[in-house]
Amino acid sequence: MFEVNVGTVGSVNIITSENGGLSNDQIADMAADKIMYISDEAPEPIRLQAEAFKDRVRNLVQYYVELARKEERATICAKVREAGQHELAKAIGRL
Amino acid sequence: MAIAQAMCTAFKQELLLGTHNFATNGNAFKLALYAEGGGGKSSTTATLGAATTAYTTTGEVANSGSYTAGGGALTKVAPSTSGTTAFTDFADISFTTATITAMGALIYNDTNSDKAVAVLDFSSNKTSTSGTFTVQFPTADASNAIIRIA
Repeated sequence: MFEVNVGTVGSVNIITSENGGLSNDQIADMAADKIMYISDEAPEPIRLQAEAFKDRVRNLVQYYVELARKEERATICAKVREAGQHELAKAIGRL
Repeated sequence: MAIAQAMCTAFKQELLLGTHNFATNGNAFKLALYAEGGGGKSSTTATLGAATTAYTTTGEVANSGSYTAGGGALTKVAPSTSGTTAFTDFADISFTTATITAMGALIYNDTNSDKAVAVLDFSSNKTSTSGTFTVQFPTADASNAIIRIA
């Protein structure tokens, strides 16, 4: 007789924000969690090394998310300014 | 508990009947959000668990921002195997500019009569206020993927 253990449902993370979109930190955390999963059962020296590496990955992602948003805002500002909306361009630039 | 994480029993049977197709070009799946207590429509409370057979509007959160009744379409990750485990997963899903309080979610087959797949229990109320509500699915591997058959 064969017995198949069907049906395991994984765990999801819920990330929410208030009065705007997700922050750079939240997105960086999401990316790091997706890139690296560290088992709670991993031997401690390996787990500590993995956590240190994950932290570096997270910081790198956070930097580039911030840069991408800044550059995107700069592009939007330029387009809005070209359209003659100078005050709106300034407001976007201050974000 | 009104919302209990589970792979729906009917879904297990329907797997044997070939009802669900998770291939990239297969069926369409959706994720709907649910509240306990006053977070849902008309203060209804969702009751979801292993016995859930299909999508229901009872206890579903109200329309807000990009969230509308029935929830959002999921982007599938093609089924795969690792060792003796088969698994499938979905891309993260976000509802933007939304004011939502949800305690759980239901993944269901939008192609085949809204048949239930799995219930997700968030353990506590999660709230977005005029913001983004994101459900991040786990890594698609044999140890973490959202749906695994071992």
